Amino acid sequence: MSAHANPSPRTAPALRAVIRAIGLIGLGGIAIAVGLADVIARAPVDAIGVGPSLAPPSQAFPFGTDLLGRDMFSETLHALAITLGDAIVGALVAVALGGIFGFVAARLPWRIGDGLRVVAGILAAVPALLLAILFVGLTARGFAPVAAGLAAAPFAFARAFDRARLLGASHYAQYARASGIRSATLLRRDLAYEVRDNFLSTVTRALAAVAITLATLSFFGFGAVPPARDLGLLIASARAGFLDAWWTAACPAFTLMLLILCARLAAGLDEGERP
Amino acid sequence: MSERILSISDLTITRAGLPRPELENVSLTLDAGETLLLLGESGSGIPSLMRAVMGAGQSGERVSGQIQFAQSTPGVKVRHGESALRIAYLPDAHSEVLSPHASVLSQLVRILARKLDLPRATASEELRLTLARLEGAPPLDAFRAGTVEAMALSWGFLALAIAQTPDLIVADHPLPDSSPIGSRKFTAALVAEQKRLGFALLYSARRTLVTTWLEGRIAILRNGRIVEEGTVGRLSSAQAHAYTQQLYKSLPMVTPQVPLPRRGSRGEPVLQVRGLELSPPQKNVYRARETVTFDLRRGASLAWLGEENSGRNELLRMVLGQQEPAGGRVIFDSVDVGILSQAMTARLRRRVVFIAGDDNVLDPRMNVRDTVEEPLRAHLNLSRDLVAGHCEAALKRVGLASLAPERAVAALSRFDKRRLQVARAIVTVPLLAVIDEPQRGLGPLESAVMLDLLRELRAQEGPAFLLLTANFALALALADEAMVFKDRSIVERGPVGEMLKAPKDDYTKALIAAITPVLPSGLPKAQSQG
Repeated sequence: MSAHANPSPRTAPALRAVIRAIGLIGLGGIAIAVGLADVIARAPVDAIGVGPSLAPPSQAFPFGTDLLGRDMFSETLHALAITLGDAIVGALVAVALGGIFGFVAARLPWRIGDGLRVVAGILAAVPALLLAILFVGLTARGFAPVAAGLAAAPFAFARAFDRARLLGASHYAQYARASGIRSATLLRRDLAYEVRDNFLSTVTRALAAVAITLATLSFFGFGAVPPARDLGLLIASARAGFLDAWWTAACPAFTLMLLILCARLAAGLDEGERP
Repeated sequence: MSERILSISDLTITRAGLPRPELENVSLTLDAGETLLLLGESGSGIPSLMRAVMGAGQSGERVSGQIQFAQSTPGVKVRHGESALRIAYLPDAHSEVLSPHASVLSQLVRILARKLDLPRATASEELRLTLARLEGAPPLDAFRAGTVEAMALSWGFLALAIAQTPDLIVADHPLPDSSPIGSRKFTAALVAEQKRLGFALLYSARRTLVTTWLEGRIAILRNGRIVEEGTVGRLSSAQAHAYTQQLYKSLPMVTPQVPLPRRGSRGEPVLQVRGLELSPPQKNVYRARETVTFDLRRGASLAWLGEENSGRNELLRMVLGQQEPAGGRVIFDSVDVGILSQAMTARLRRRVVFIAGDDNVLDPRMNVRDTVEEPLRAHLNLSRDLVAGHCEAALKRVGLASLAPERAVAALSRFDKRRLQVARAIVTVPLLAVIDEPQRGLGPLESAVMLDLLRELRAQEGPAFLLLTANFALALALADEAMVFKDRSIVERGPVGEMLKAPKDDYTKALIAAITPVLPSGLPKAQSQG
């Protein structure tokens, strides 16, 4: 027995559960809004002249209008749908390639596993945005969601690898091995429980990271391909008139912030794949 | 007449959602210099009583009745500051009362300095002197290390309490189960200090044996009520209540009249260890490495007797292949484990089971059914119905049939986890069962049930037993032969019965003395009931 036990987690379990519930409710609300985008939005995608040019937020146009008279609320909603869809694809890529592969790599023979962990560590040291730009450059702009997912994968890999090593070194795993339970059985068991207990938080954590990367990619012109506009592209297009019409950038930026905040809350405010 | 230190009257503690009160109309008194022992199983209400006395009630608890310390205002909300009494607390050594982020010594010194309003250097010196006075206690330097063993931690808490020259010590089963010799020395030191300082002692005991080492009165609690109260002497010899009789039946029967246990079975060897080398106790001290050689035959039982860090756990890790031995061989079921591939070793070990007092053998994420069924699913190609049938039968045998099969292991009580380990062992039909302190942390009756389950496992499934324990009585009950470990060497080996009759080494004698109850005739004068 040691007097030194594991330090308690930073957030109490009950508070963490409340935080996660708030985040999931928020994400649910965003998903519903995106699902009903065509019903809620008063104008179709890229509809010009719906209102006066550069009208500030009002009852008729809650997010105002842009230079071409487009309803910013409708545009933001359509852009959110694109950003969310791309971010989900990217998050799944990050979790599948990073999380699951990291988990399996931890159970490979020590030198191979450790080698892969070092590679993942080096990639994780490079800013995710630069990695994503590199991947887009090697493929095409249409692959931006996959590129953002790949850029977040090293973080997911490192996290899953370390977690799997911890589980593999646990007393019950050692006893199981000593009583003839095969490593493959233990890996299957650990994966099943990780998916059951941590899949949602892992995906939402990756979702937040990928959404930031995707929006930034689009902002710099490496992401969404016009005429499709995601939130990053929407913010970028407001750069010229931002000082005179703040709502054209602030409203999409606030929506993006809300998406990322909800995803982070759903992950229990756990740091992880932050680029 | 002695001064009344503590008076509890009609104390009732209820908690929302529980069918019955945790504590119901409990009345107790404790005078200066007196000892009051509280004995009971889990569910007895003793933890709630101790929390109430320490003024550390939990949220959701409703408390009624009176707790009064000497000359303080009676009330149910205890405010120790109101009383002029010095009250010291001896916590459970396994509880995590200290921060993991600072050294044990610095925390003990800080607590003492704050309690006595002393500079830290003076408090440290006070602690050092107190430790030096306590016979058997480790020196102050032992607490400088990053981690401290449970027994050493108990000594540290005792020194902290004694250094405060208290009027009352509240001890919440402060002894770890893994160190019987240390526990015996600890209680002797506690009694000696009580005689010297004259403090009152409220002691919550998990094991009946410990109560026989202390002098005073015992209150037996069950389901939140006091079922019997009397002096140690009276209750040790004659118990009026059936429950008290059961508790005292769980005392180890260590008498020379115990019939010799049967000798090891003459079956084929299931485990052969040839010249495994144990590392020396200290890196800087040269000593020839102890080499261990023994055979364990099918159906036989061998106990490795010794306390923590005696070398028995290191030897086990080497036997299990978790630690690379410096030299020697391990032959399991006539196959040298050292020359096998990992896959072949895994196949060979299918019929090895573990039952450990730390319960860390079980994956806390798994549920009851999966835990029992896993060995069957992993090793045998049985139909789902057959697997479920074996699982159900095993759970029935250990008395867990009423548990919901989907219940997570993490949600089970300590006793249930321990029985679940036996159920998992039953379905495996093992060749070798490695049993490590199976009664650790269990109450008297739970320990007795566990012993019966292990005996039944051995009788029905017939595995060889490799028992790791510091409890000589347990070795006597379960093992045929024993090896006694001390400081990473074997100081004695042979049949357990013969070892009991004529122990050769002083350490073996101390292990036997540590589990010997002090019978009423041997008791010093019992104190009057105040």
